[in-house]
Amino acid sequence: MAKTTIITFFLVAMLALNSNAFAQDQAKKTDEHDHHDHSGHAMSQDKHDHSGHSMSQESGAAIDHASEHGTVDDHGHDHDIDHSAHDTQATEHGDMHHHHHMDHDHIMDHEGTMIMGQNLDKLPSSCKSISEEVEITVRAGRKYSKNFPGTAFAFDKQQWNVKPCAKVTFHFINEDSIRHQFMMHGLPKYLYKYGMFHLEVTGPKTVSGTIIVPGSDDTFLVHCDISHHMEKGMKAQLVVGNGGEDIPSIPGLTPYNRNDRYEAENLPKVSDKSSNKTEKNLISMEMTEFSNLNLKNYGMMLIGILLGLLSIPLFKKISFHRKSD
Amino acid sequence: MPNHFLNALLILCMMLLATISQAASKLPNTVKVDPAALTTEPMCDPKISPAWREAQEIEGVKIEASPGCSPDNPAWIAAAVKGTNNISMDTLMKTGLSPDAIIKTDDLDGDGDPDRIVIKLEIMELNGRSPDFPGIVPTFDIAPGIQPGAWVFAPKTSGMSTENFESVRANPLLRLPSPVIRVEVGDIVQIVLENTHYFPHSIHLHGVDHPFSHGEHGGQDGVPQTSEVELMPGERRVYQFQARQPGTMFYHCHVQTHTHLSMGLAGMIVIEENRPNNWLQTLNIGAGHVRHPSVAVREQFDQEYDLHYHAMDKELGDIIQKYNDPRLIAREMNQRYDITDSSEDYFTLNGLSFPYTLRESLIIVEPDQKVKLRLLNSGGELIAVHTHGHHATITHYDGVEHNPAAQIMRDVFDMAPAQRLDLKLETVNDGKHSYGEGDWLIHDHREKGITTNGMAEGGSMSSIVYKSYLNGSGLPKVSHFGIDLSEYFTKEYYEKRYPIWQDLDEWASLGSPGEYEGLDPTTQASMLNTLYGLLIGLFLYLIFAKWQYIKECAHAAVSRLKSPKGGNQ
Repeated sequence: MAKTTIITFFLVAMLALNSNAFAQDQAKKTDEHDHHDHSGHAMSQDKHDHSGHSMSQESGAAIDHASEHGTVDDHGHDHDIDHSAHDTQATEHGDMHHHHHMDHDHIMDHEGTMIMGQNLDKLPSSCKSISEEVEITVRAGRKYSKNFPGTAFAFDKQQWNVKPCAKVTFHFINEDSIRHQFMMHGLPKYLYKYGMFHLEVTGPKTVSGTIIVPGSDDTFLVHCDISHHMEKGMKAQLVVGNGGEDIPSIPGLTPYNRNDRYEAENLPKVSDKSSNKTEKNLISMEMTEFSNLNLKNYGMMLIGILLGLLSIPLFKKISFHRKSD
Repeated sequence: MPNHFLNALLILCMMLLATISQAASKLPNTVKVDPAALTTEPMCDPKISPAWREAQEIEGVKIEASPGCSPDNPAWIAAAVKGTNNISMDTLMKTGLSPDAIIKTDDLDGDGDPDRIVIKLEIMELNGRSPDFPGIVPTFDIAPGIQPGAWVFAPKTSGMSTENFESVRANPLLRLPSPVIRVEVGDIVQIVLENTHYFPHSIHLHGVDHPFSHGEHGGQDGVPQTSEVELMPGERRVYQFQARQPGTMFYHCHVQTHTHLSMGLAGMIVIEENRPNNWLQTLNIGAGHVRHPSVAVREQFDQEYDLHYHAMDKELGDIIQKYNDPRLIAREMNQRYDITDSSEDYFTLNGLSFPYTLRESLIIVEPDQKVKLRLLNSGGELIAVHTHGHHATITHYDGVEHNPAAQIMRDVFDMAPAQRLDLKLETVNDGKHSYGEGDWLIHDHREKGITTNGMAEGGSMSSIVYKSYLNGSGLPKVSHFGIDLSEYFTKEYYEKRYPIWQDLDEWASLGSPGEYEGLDPTTQASMLNTLYGLLIGLFLYLIFAKWQYIKECAHAAVSRLKSPKGGNQ
């Protein structure tokens, strides 16, 4: 009986402390929800559902070659990309010339769409067979930074989980009108040159590539290496099995190694502005506001002290009860 | 017993006094910095192949020799002349450029050169803060150890922004200054700005004949208050023009210009005269020597150099090294940085300060040559460029030819901010055009222009060097005068930790003074004062402690004096 009372008290205290954090979390979730509502198009798709997608016919090297014919309006079947941002399309494909650079691990087309370090069939030494075949759609763009104040670019998700020895095909959808990269580091170097797997595309456009992940638990850095895209939010991790050590400073997922210092700013507020009050009144209002704030703080503290004092007999009683038990 | 103690104390005090006053007679010794303690860099960047200096032909593009120690990558020049769409994958891979960085098509007037030119520019940050480690990334040194926070227009690249995964050094295409753009009168030019940066930006084509608004692309004067909204991160905008007049012009970001221009978003743009078969070097990355000049320039000159003078405020660049959150950077730059309280600290020529200007911004000449120099001042103040040993002729102001009959020769060229001058430098040894062969300085004669954050020699200083004064690695030959430039290639020099005159004589008469051995004069004085105080204290104590005795003695003395004869009884 006594124990449960103590525990209840403790729990209530914890709840009070955390309520703020809960509120914040909830606010964030609503935000996300709003975001999906707004986006209207295929944004709400499950990450494994991309059946309508031109990429998925081939599991392997699937640069979107729609632009090969040099047509102006060539992104017709990137159905899930917002076309409203497409005002500069006409300038893009004046050239009919093509570069298709192909060696075993480097494929690039005439627009710089690139797949590097792809691995379709070479099993890592720690794997006997492929455990699962997964397809992951990764979206990249400025709009995904909306959920993470203080960033400028982001992926739609910050973490993907796969089984060890999985064969993973990434469909990288760049929704911005600039270059972005899906660059993975730390893969075994005997299979991947420099330990890297790298997709790169100027959006709005899609590129796909496949790798086979190692057989042991590990966590791999995924980022965009364009100057300050990773630093400003475009960073994520691929978790294989139970994963390894977390990668730092992934927005909303892991803490930053080095934090900025934030200080409150004297921003104009609606409450400061009052149409039919003289300046004198304004000043007095500001003063009362100031003192109100202080009063509130001290008042809260006073209430806390009183509460503490009041609860002393209660605690005494509890210990007394225990003794009598 | 107390007497003994007192005596001992007194003697000790005397000894201390003696030693303290003795130490002051000699000044501290000179401390010489051991050259082994300095972080010495090779004067010539070893990463750059000497084979790049030679005259060569790539993809049918003739590339002039450039004997300086860090010439441009010849593959860059081939790609810039032919377009990244008209070269082999092999050459393209040597450039690091995106395959759609420079697209050249359609000979509209049938004169043998392409007339539709698409140039794609990205915006890259250099030397910005990382949230992951206590350094900056990607790094770009304007002088040894000097890494100011900067932004540049960069040709559209492919792959990583650093040299490789292990390095934090910037990809060589990401550098100061923003590249020089070259197009022809009549070309239909599209400059496509892909805003890869986290802030809004734009391009203003200062001096270039461009329509204020384009039917397809909208307003295009680059000004968010007159012609267009800011281009947000992740967005792309086309600036299209068909210039009717040639000249040396200027392009820069016009969003929050007072900071964005100084941060490095500024470059030279040259409209060349229209000539048949005029394949231009569309981008001169890093400015400097033009190794594939236009037909019109080749008609009149033996060589051409682009000289872009710029200045940066350290406090402004520091903001992107202090914060990572774009909101904090924006607040700091837009609302708190006050340009009217600022001063420029770094003065660069083609993105670099001395001694790195010796690597790639030398004007290398031979006797009796005509050399075209295009100068741009993108700094915030007037500059005064002085050519040692030469008077050059001003042929164009702000891209417009000056009346040939009224053209003047000078040896100091004052340039207002944003001003351009075209100069004709004639290396004729007649005592006026040139005083003969040598390693002649060319520098901003505002004396701060030859400093780097206040440390001379630095800034935008470079040289007009005659080939006979060039050494095997492409640097000015100075050793026969007993000159050693290696101290400038250390970061300690620009950290202001190197006594620059220590090696002028054997005993380093102007070297760094060490500290006093023992006590310095001020401590000595205070120690002496303490001793005096102690002595006075002791004396007072004595008076106090022996008061009774003193009193008795005094009484005795007084009574003796009073009864003069009593004592003798």
